[in-house]
Amino acid sequence: MQEGRVLSTREMNRDLLRSILDTPRWFWPVVTVLGLVLLIAAIAIGIMVNRGLGVTGLNRPVAWGFFITNFVFWIGISHAGVMLSAILRLAKAEWRRPATRAAEVLTLFSLMTAMIMPIVHTGRPWRILYWVFPYDFARGIWPNIRTPLVWDPSAILTYLTSSTLFVIIALIPDFAVLRDHTTGIAHRVYSVLAMGWEGNARQWKLQIVAGVLLSALILPVFVSVHSIVSWDFGMAASVKSWHSTVFAPYFVVGAVHSGVSAVAFALILLRWCYGWQDYIRHEHIDALGRLLIVVATGWFYFLVMEILFGMYGREPDELMVRQTQFTYWPYNAWFIVFVITTYFIPVILWLSRAWRRNLWIMSIACISVNIGMWLERFLIIVPGLINKQLFTFVWADYRPSIFEIIIVAATFALVTMLMLLFSRVFPLVPLYDVKEGDVLKTQVQIGRRTVPATFRED
Amino acid sequence: MASSAEHHQGGGHGQHAGMWVFPRREEVTSDVSGKTFAMPSVYKLALGIAAVLAALGVVGFAIRASSDGFGSPGPWGYYAAIFSFVFMVTGAAPLVACAFRFTKSHWRRPLSRVSELFAIVGVVNIVLFIPLLLAMPPIKNPDAQGTDLEVRRTLWFEVPIGAPYTWDLLCFVGLALCSVAILWLSATPDMAQARATATGFRRGLYTALAGWWYGTKRQWNHQKAGLALLGAFYFMLIIFVQFIFITEFAMSMVPFWKDSVLPPMYTVMSFQTSLGLILIVLFIMRKWGGYEGYLGKAPFWSASKILLGLTLLWTYHLFAFFITYWYGRLEVEQNILKYLFTQPYLPLFLANMLFSFLVPFLMLIWNPLRRSAWGPSLAGLSALVGALLFNLRTFAAAFNTGNHYEFALSHVPAAVLPDIWDIFMVLGGLGIVALVYLVSAKVFPLISIWEVKEGTLYQKMDTFVRGEYLVLAKPE
Amino acid sequence: MVTSRIDHKWGMVVDLDRCNGCQACVVACQVENNLPINDKNAFLQNRAYEWIRIERYWEGDYPNIKARFIPILCQHCENAPCEPVCPVFATYRNDEGLNVQLYNRCVGTRYCINNCPYQVRFFNYWHPNWPERLQNQLNPDVTVRTRGITEKCTFCIQRLRRGQLQVERRNGGELGDSTLRAGNHMPACVQACPTNALTFGDQNDAQSPIKPYFDDVNRYNIHHESERQTRGYRMLEDMNTKPNVIYLKKVDPNKGSSGGHHG
Repeated sequence: MQEGRVLSTREMNRDLLRSILDTPRWFWPVVTVLGLVLLIAAIAIGIMVNRGLGVTGLNRPVAWGFFITNFVFWIGISHAGVMLSAILRLAKAEWRRPATRAAEVLTLFSLMTAMIMPIVHTGRPWRILYWVFPYDFARGIWPNIRTPLVWDPSAILTYLTSSTLFVIIALIPDFAVLRDHTTGIAHRVYSVLAMGWEGNARQWKLQIVAGVLLSALILPVFVSVHSIVSWDFGMAASVKSWHSTVFAPYFVVGAVHSGVSAVAFALILLRWCYGWQDYIRHEHIDALGRLLIVVATGWFYFLVMEILFGMYGREPDELMVRQTQFTYWPYNAWFIVFVITTYFIPVILWLSRAWRRNLWIMSIACISVNIGMWLERFLIIVPGLINKQLFTFVWADYRPSIFEIIIVAATFALVTMLMLLFSRVFPLVPLYDVKEGDVLKTQVQIGRRTVPATFRED
Repeated sequence: MASSAEHHQGGGHGQHAGMWVFPRREEVTSDVSGKTFAMPSVYKLALGIAAVLAALGVVGFAIRASSDGFGSPGPWGYYAAIFSFVFMVTGAAPLVACAFRFTKSHWRRPLSRVSELFAIVGVVNIVLFIPLLLAMPPIKNPDAQGTDLEVRRTLWFEVPIGAPYTWDLLCFVGLALCSVAILWLSATPDMAQARATATGFRRGLYTALAGWWYGTKRQWNHQKAGLALLGAFYFMLIIFVQFIFITEFAMSMVPFWKDSVLPPMYTVMSFQTSLGLILIVLFIMRKWGGYEGYLGKAPFWSASKILLGLTLLWTYHLFAFFITYWYGRLEVEQNILKYLFTQPYLPLFLANMLFSFLVPFLMLIWNPLRRSAWGPSLAGLSALVGALLFNLRTFAAAFNTGNHYEFALSHVPAAVLPDIWDIFMVLGGLGIVALVYLVSAKVFPLISIWEVKEGTLYQKMDTFVRGEYLVLAKPE
Repeated sequence: MVTSRIDHKWGMVVDLDRCNGCQACVVACQVENNLPINDKNAFLQNRAYEWIRIERYWEGDYPNIKARFIPILCQHCENAPCEPVCPVFATYRNDEGLNVQLYNRCVGTRYCINNCPYQVRFFNYWHPNWPERLQNQLNPDVTVRTRGITEKCTFCIQRLRRGQLQVERRNGGELGDSTLRAGNHMPACVQACPTNALTFGDQNDAQSPIKPYFDDVNRYNIHHESERQTRGYRMLEDMNTKPNVIYLKKVDPNKGSSGGHHG
């Protein structure tokens, strides 16, 4: 498993801190373009808030559309962080090391972006204060804990808090390195952030214990977040195709599928932007690809369950929804695109070792998964509402308006921008983790062959 | 016998005492063969008990068949339950070896044969499955009237020719063939090595099965690739067959039980219980079989984490089902919840939760217990008991809903208690599995010799800074 | 404030046999409850407000084709799917059997709209506008809802409240001739119906004309539908929502009494 050059600590510091200490030439143009997209979206949101949700394509039966689809999508992306950091950490997978930080940070930013969506979706964002925060103690009006819409912010905010802690704890040793490499104001800021880290044995022990504990504690939160998001739909017995018992595991696996793909793509981008060929190596992308084959196949199994048992009941109202999903324009086309892009294209590409190690092909596969997963949420949410129940009289189709499209597109720009800004301030490849992996490396002689090996701590 | 395998107890310090053992490479073959051919009295006792239980089962089955016949599914609920339990546990057992071979986990090496040997039980499963097919009500309603359905809700939407009997049986045959192929391919190098030293019928058997094997590099490459392919295929096949089975024999028997998470839940439970069963077998081998030179605590320690994960995963799937039905408040779903969970079968359900979730969960979150050999095995036993209760509850209920052609469950039927023949059949099911497994353990060695020998190459203790730590080599 | 302690449980019976689809109820509701005017755009955007709507279905093939009408309004379910999903308790069940909506509390998640199987909840996508000359026709007893709020049929709760204030308080809370009855109180749609297809009343009032229907439908649940003595049924009865609106099946002279429609 060991490929690449042997690097000294000095080289590692220099390479991995390059993103912070020098400004690449492409940086400001890219930030400007992303900022423009965000500005346009801010104007769109402003108009929407001013004039009302009428500017969207939502209508009487289809009360949830692009915004909620996008919300579920970004929540899904946020599942990569824990999947890679916590699970692989507990499983002691060595190849996780350079990928963890980027995954965790992507978790943070996609969670934040996701949380914007339901707020925008209500049309009058200030009223959300009534909802997420128990606002009226005097009259005893508390949020209704029976609704998944209150479970949602609870789970998401818990996840956001614990992921933030997770990121910060992993960052402390790296802050210390930064503190020692900077001067002036930056030095002082990093000094505060490093919290007096000296790298003594006790501090390392505490840091490791905190990391392992958080990994274990964050797992239930990780599973519950997307389960609860799925129950936004699963609990709605009136929308036939939503009320399916498999939704919770189906959504969680789907989230991991899209999230890990997104992380793989982000890693490829980082490698290319900052020249981290020695750290984010082909073997890491390869391992992610192999993991993704398993995740994708598990996801496909749940997809089959969902569709099959949707039709199993042979209820006319549910069959109508399925008919819309599979046969009515444009949903039939999107459905085909969805199945092909989410499963068949990427898995076929991932099956070949050479292709897993080709960064272009890997990027195509990962983008394809995320196109498909976005469509998946759309195809669950909208057709279910279009033909809700058998009141054919009020069935209506849904077409997103330009406002929805702009705002959804801007969320991608927002996450990219946040990741870029973060990478300029904090190292996106964990220095201490990579170094630790290096220290634990050894080799075993078998006959005439030298096989790479690692020391295990347990 | 046991002393002939001198071994180095790895990691002599503190909590890791006895965690890793490294058998001497030169003596593995002769030692394991010797243990395989020996007939200690413990083994004979176990064989006797298993035979008696199996005989009880046959008696129970014969009386049930002669007194009730195969006309209606009702009397066969408990038979279905014990079949489902046996199939759930033993069907997924060969997968444990395949899965951890796929992830290249070294700790799986001593347990892979234990897991693959359950393939033989898979062959018996085909025979046990046939009575169930006879007892199942036909898909097309023979006397449709009123609001009843003309065609029962099943997986066979258009009811193709031969459905469901032929196709279900084919599934089980395919499954058994695939698992036996895995066992054969995996055991070939071991049989080839033993064919010279073995005597009697084993010599003939080994020569017939492994005569082609000379251990060339090409053959090894083919064997490993074959095992990986068959493992992947078996993985998909078992999930498919479990999906067919639980849907056909539990879900579609209860009117309007439309539960898309049931097949995944059944599959997760099968992984949980098969891992538990393998741990129990390992524990017995270690304690009474003289295999402690091969089995450190590492397999238990590593498997216990996975067992904990699967336990939680099962509970999660159950909860996903429960909350969706409970929150939706549709009347049909409420009736199904009441029937299967909260009313007639409530005690069974609570006991099921206790053994499948609470006991293993509380045991396995405690590190000192997980580091022992008996802790994870006991948790596995608890999971097995829980799964038995789960199957009893599910299938006794599903087979006794009364009218299987109703549009939806309009009332909550009463619980059906087992009679003495049902109990005989349940015991017999357990007995048959034990009997078949014990006999096959004398035909094939319980330790995968080549894998264990290979493992000693890849693992060693080495000094890191000041301590002794395990070094794991992972070939690409 | 209503100080009366009379235990009301309002309900409505819709006789499909009498409905001729004239839409008078729709117009009456529109006027009474300050609903925005459904212009061409509202229909093109599929955002028309119809607290009560007449659904028209065709039965049979040409030339033996018949139009069937079903007035659909909020069913005021006892077991309303819209209620538990609201994060701010903007919709809840009051003690008179009504499913009511608090406009001030609504934040616009629209989950209730999704979870209503009858599709009788409406979201204000735009701020409502009336032409200048129509400003004076607005009902002063009814709030004009702003954009971003979900609204629905209230069984004309403003009329109920006015009636309770004027009639019941005078009598000290006793249920007598002067309490609200089907005869002396009705929502706008019921009042406007020329064929008396809609009947409103109190399920707790022994003399109420709607009571026999509710008793019958409550006695025989969906699994014993064939034993019912009346033509009554509830819409989407298998969903277990327990509506406070009962429909009476169409009488089909050719088929006896089995011309029912389950929505």
